[in-house]
Amino acid sequence: MIERWALVSGLRGDLETYDLIQRDLKKTRGVTSLFVLGDLVGPERNCDALLDRLKNPHRGDLKPDCIYGWWEEQLLAESGFRGERKADALRLSQGEDAVSALLNTVNPSHLKWLASLQFGFIELDCALIHGSSSDVGDNLTSETSPLILLDRLTRLNVNRLFTARSTKQFHLELTGGGINSQVKDLNGKREQQQAVPKRSVIGIGAGLNYTLYDIGSDKTHFLTAGSKTNPKGKGFA
Amino acid sequence: MRSHQGKCGYLRLDGYSSNGLEQVSNSGIDKTFLKDQFPELIDLSDSHHASRSQQGDLLALIELPQFQAPQHAGLTGMDPRVKNQLEALQLHPDRHLHFGRDPELPNKDTLEFKKLESFSLSLNASVWDPPSLNTLWFELVNGAYGDVYRAKALMNLPDGRSMFFNWIVSQESSQFLPLEEISAPNGRPASLSELVVQGKHLDGLRIQSTIDLCLLNDAVLEMHQMPLRDRQKEAIPST
Amino acid sequence: MNHAIISCLHANLPAAEAVLNDIDRQGIGTITCLGDLVGYGPQPNEVVELIRKRGIATCQGCWDEDIIDGLNACECSYPSQLAERRGHLAHQWTDDQLTDENKSFLASLPTSLRRDRLLFVHGSPNSQHEYLLPDMDAFAALERVETAGADILFCGHTHQPYVRELRDGSIRVRLQNADHECDQGEELTLPMRKIVNAGSVGEPRHGSTNATYVIHNDATDEVEIKEVPYDVDRTCQAIVEAGLPKVFAWRLSHGFEFAEQAEDASHVCER
Repeated sequence: MIERWALVSGLRGDLETYDLIQRDLKKTRGVTSLFVLGDLVGPERNCDALLDRLKNPHRGDLKPDCIYGWWEEQLLAESGFRGERKADALRLSQGEDAVSALLNTVNPSHLKWLASLQFGFIELDCALIHGSSSDVGDNLTSETSPLILLDRLTRLNVNRLFTARSTKQFHLELTGGGINSQVKDLNGKREQQQAVPKRSVIGIGAGLNYTLYDIGSDKTHFLTAGSKTNPKGKGFA
Repeated sequence: MRSHQGKCGYLRLDGYSSNGLEQVSNSGIDKTFLKDQFPELIDLSDSHHASRSQQGDLLALIELPQFQAPQHAGLTGMDPRVKNQLEALQLHPDRHLHFGRDPELPNKDTLEFKKLESFSLSLNASVWDPPSLNTLWFELVNGAYGDVYRAKALMNLPDGRSMFFNWIVSQESSQFLPLEEISAPNGRPASLSELVVQGKHLDGLRIQSTIDLCLLNDAVLEMHQMPLRDRQKEAIPST
Repeated sequence: MNHAIISCLHANLPAAEAVLNDIDRQGIGTITCLGDLVGYGPQPNEVVELIRKRGIATCQGCWDEDIIDGLNACECSYPSQLAERRGHLAHQWTDDQLTDENKSFLASLPTSLRRDRLLFVHGSPNSQHEYLLPDMDAFAALERVETAGADILFCGHTHQPYVRELRDGSIRVRLQNADHECDQGEELTLPMRKIVNAGSVGEPRHGSTNATYVIHNDATDEVEIKEVPYDVDRTCQAIVEAGLPKVFAWRLSHGFEFAEQAEDASHVCER
């Protein structure tokens, strides 16, 4: 039987988009899990309705498993959930107004739930994280140096890393290569060859753009919610 | 014992102190370990059991700590005090072996001492942080708390296992054996836990204070046990 | 020109003096220190003052950082509860001993130093707490040097001196994305880079009690690992006299170093 995961991110308070995705998923065979990889909130619109729906799924909704993303990190930091740290990254990149806007989009009653969300999930040999094991804001794309991608996979010792921070949809496979290393210490010299492990980094997209992952065949399908095109035509099913 | 077909019994006698050589008190570590490995093991310290089980093919292991080899080989070399003790329990040994003399016993388990100190500590209801236990044991047998010739223990781990630790100076490494019986993840274990150390210039206070840094408090123990309980619940779905 | 790199002095004055004498005897004028001037050892003020007096360029180690910022090392950076409690004890003792002036000096230290293509850090370019062990994943090791934009990375923290050359590396990739089908695949050729670990002056962990440091020739890129014997008994006696746990002296006198080491080399604290 086909077993698929749906991977969603970057909803940023957009309940309509979430609703479209849920409707898509109802029509898709074999989807067993829905992972929401952060950025549930954002500064553009009020996020309370989406957060309510994620916390209390409608009848017929695929129950979402959520982790926190970059925007939640900013919100939680500014709201005192990260010790001394504030929303410095947001303040630096988008200014004070963006910080105030963000605070205004989420009712404080949601903060405790957001603070309870995990940094990531490890499922089978896959890591599901908003950015990467290095940082929630780690912006991995298909342009990122493969050396860095490999490092992020190695840190978690997983074969696949699903990331959302870049908002892009991509599937980058490491297919070969290697490296020689020579270590000299007080006991002498030793040589070592290491091959590149067969591993992948998958960008799952954001908003309407989401990803289906077939566990059995290890295939990724890049989809757009509500789109009329045959979903099979996209990605590499 | 593993190769013996019939019943097996065990008895540990207290040794006799002599010339300033201190006997370790009987901590029950060996008995607990053997009973765990051979649940049918007969406790020969109970004379009723002892006499009843002697009909038939009983292998009775009787352990007596001694500092020197007996003067005579075989049964004639036995201390008369020991003979009396055994007779009171209706036990009539047919062989008498001594470590370091009789080839049937492993030779490397033998030590010679001129003066010996001992330190023992009851650890009942204590549970160890496993990596801290590794460090403590490493330091202990490598001489951080005095010259240790022999160390033996039963230690409780947070996953419910009880480990038998066994070390002797003449051997290269320690023996670590898990007991079959696993304690339930509900608070502190009831199984016997004890540390016994023999050696010279032992600093019992420092051993004790290091151990204090290694044992888990109730809150941390609960953190270990909670997921174990959850897993048990998952494994046995309630109907 | 030869220059010397020292690291992890850990308040061990006899070891620090012996190493600096050894460097002086060779007429080497440039010395770089990779931090951890204090922690576990009995003479924190004396060691900090020696480095200040000599004007040795120094970056901040994890101990130097923790003394200034308070204990904020995540619990997971200690390999055991015992190590953590001993670490806290040593931290408290060091904190009580250090003068305000010496604390200010430690606070003023940069987390890295750069000279052209050479980068000097305590743990890794990511964190003072990260261990770059000699046998860590070669690609991850290369990533640390490459992302930091250096040719040679000098580090300490592991207390095991080594020189690691990473070469002939390549990674082949194949990309698929939402817009187009799978592309042909590309191969990235990786540059040759080096990691040099200076070992430890005050808390050696290489199987002997000798202090270690390294000498690098910036013309030939040759690296020599140096071992220097010192009066271990003097340090051990000072540990006991200072009222620090006797086991610190025992570990040092056996070359086990004061403390255990976190086992997971790739672990990076998320704090």
